[in-house]
Amino acid sequence: MIQFLRFAMTRAVLAFITLCFVSFIVFSLMELVPGDCAERYLAFKNSQGAQISIADIEAERVRLGLDRPFFERWVKWIFGAFQGEFGDSCILRLDISQLLGQKVWLSIGICLGSLAVAYAIAIPVGIIAATSRNPFLNNSLRLVSYLGLALPNFLLALMIMLFSTVMFGNSLTGLFSPEYRDAPWDWGRIKDFLSHVWLPVFILGWSATAFAIQTVRALMSDEISKLYVTAAAARGVSGRRLLMRYPARHALSPIINSLGFDLNRIFNELPIVALILTLTEAGSLLIEALARSNDQQLAGAIIFFLTGSIVAINFITDIVLAIVDPRIRRSILG
Amino acid sequence: MTEANIYDNTVDQNAKDAYFTASQGQLIWTRFKKQKAAMVGAWVLVFLILSGIFAPFLTPYDPTIAGRDKDYLNGAPTIPQFCDDNGCSLRPFVYALERSRSAKTNFRWVTTINTDKRQYLEFFVEGSHFKYFGITFNTHLFGLDEGFVHLFGTDSTGKDIFSRTFHAINTSLAVGTIGVFIAFVLALIIGGISGYYGGWVDSFIQMVTDAVRTIPAIPLFMALAAFIPDTWSAEERFFFISIILGLIGWPTLARRVRTHLLTERNQEYVLAAQLCGASSGHVIRKHLLPSFTSYIIVDLVISFPYMVLSETALSFIGLGLKDPVNSLGVMLQNVTSADVLLNYQWYFIPVIFFIVLVMAFVFVGDGLRDAADPYGDTKK
Repeated sequence: MIQFLRFAMTRAVLAFITLCFVSFIVFSLMELVPGDCAERYLAFKNSQGAQISIADIEAERVRLGLDRPFFERWVKWIFGAFQGEFGDSCILRLDISQLLGQKVWLSIGICLGSLAVAYAIAIPVGIIAATSRNPFLNNSLRLVSYLGLALPNFLLALMIMLFSTVMFGNSLTGLFSPEYRDAPWDWGRIKDFLSHVWLPVFILGWSATAFAIQTVRALMSDEISKLYVTAAAARGVSGRRLLMRYPARHALSPIINSLGFDLNRIFNELPIVALILTLTEAGSLLIEALARSNDQQLAGAIIFFLTGSIVAINFITDIVLAIVDPRIRRSILG
Repeated sequence: MTEANIYDNTVDQNAKDAYFTASQGQLIWTRFKKQKAAMVGAWVLVFLILSGIFAPFLTPYDPTIAGRDKDYLNGAPTIPQFCDDNGCSLRPFVYALERSRSAKTNFRWVTTINTDKRQYLEFFVEGSHFKYFGITFNTHLFGLDEGFVHLFGTDSTGKDIFSRTFHAINTSLAVGTIGVFIAFVLALIIGGISGYYGGWVDSFIQMVTDAVRTIPAIPLFMALAAFIPDTWSAEERFFFISIILGLIGWPTLARRVRTHLLTERNQEYVLAAQLCGASSGHVIRKHLLPSFTSYIIVDLVISFPYMVLSETALSFIGLGLKDPVNSLGVMLQNVTSADVLLNYQWYFIPVIFFIVLVMAFVFVGDGLRDAADPYGDTKK
């Protein structure tokens, strides 16, 4: 038990270091971008008709703390970030944690939802694909999973949206109906939310499912040809029982291991899908922060959140693997 | 033993000899040829790459605003035909388009098809200029003497979608190639160092790579792409996007390079070579690299569609390449309006090309991966 706790602690520390390191990369990249917050803010004021001098910009820099050395600002930022404080958005002049608020959790929730959907479909289908000898089934599954790659999410989203606009006169965009947008959470809002959220979940899950099917299939067919499966079959275990007790359990750990990177892939597609489906509650805030307003602070905070959740997933999967996989458990307990 | 039998044996022996002395490339090619889907993919891919490279010759018009047909905006495809009510001809023709306005059309410009006036398709016609290797050409595979032929229709500014699509394939492949190349060089250096030295250098580099891999790349690079100054020319944007794609792609490749190096380094044949007194340079050149290149090539082919997809995604949200440049992402961006779906469906033709291109890459990559696996035969 103590060894296990020690393992969990090491993993937690490693995850923490990774997060710090990543935040350093993100922060540095944001720093490379020409122009800082003071200039941008005063440029805005200038466009409103105020007279701005170099001295004003310098004064603003001092006020925002931008005259401090780079490293010091990063340390300050990262300390704030771990407490959920990201400071004010550069352009919107609003507190970022308030601005993001539940939007971040909604987006992460949607992504986790599509990840869950993807594996809920992929694991049974992948196992069937690996065991079936029916060439028609195999080839059509292969084609579908290739299409999942070749037909990018945003294209699929667009087609579904336009199709439903033409057929049903409902564009299926947004996450809430107008009357529920700012309402507190209650049963009606949850129902409304669920009636909207399936589309982004489906679309984000689409290519994730295709990937997952391929992974599961490859892992299963690797395991199935191994000797221990033959041995088990020779002992008289057969059918679903054989699959579930022997190869499926082995194939499971690499899948659990790669969940974090699957989530990463979904995050990659979130902003684009969000843009098309106009999910203002989710990732399109990122695009807005980046493309429209060059808002480094906001963008940095969002990327920090996304990376943080991936690191968290990686940490959790490490722990879960150590619990469910005896081989790893052995190696930890020595 | 009959004569036929002896003959069979020698054939068998020859086949065996050929098998055992075959180079790795030959083995991979033999296995690759057996896979129907991959072969089809390969042919499609070769066709698309060639048509991308020779796009200026194969397509009748300049894909930029210079080659636009200003009388035929948002025009439907004009398909060359051989027969109509006025009889058949051996040469394919399209109808002439006439643009006019009058009291009848409420003084709006209206394009009408004049079915009585045929315009015959000609081959090797002179048209807009283009350059290969510094030599200027102006011959196009087909075209019309007067008027325009638009196999895939035209877009809202009258640019020929057929010409744009083929040029777009070229651009997207070029972006992908540069991206893959940059990713590959980075991966080779980083993964190579990691795999060659092993030990704590390896652990440290792996930690950094893993950390980089946890950053969702597209949002991050959207952040960077958003800061491309508007004043940049199309070419500068093009190179910047390629570099970004390369930076997105390296960690996965680097990991594979490292894994290959680590496993190969400890193989018995390397040990055998070392015991025979081979220098490490010899081991690397004669044993490690050959064992390795096929895998790397496979990895490159597999990562190629992701580059094309990323380019498309970036261009699609307007942060990648922009209009004067024709890339598949730019073409896809054009289909986003409801107007297009309802009225101008031919805008979707480039989408088909895009899907086919990615699929072809995936099939070839998959086939190559199976073919490069030396135990692929024995497993089945």
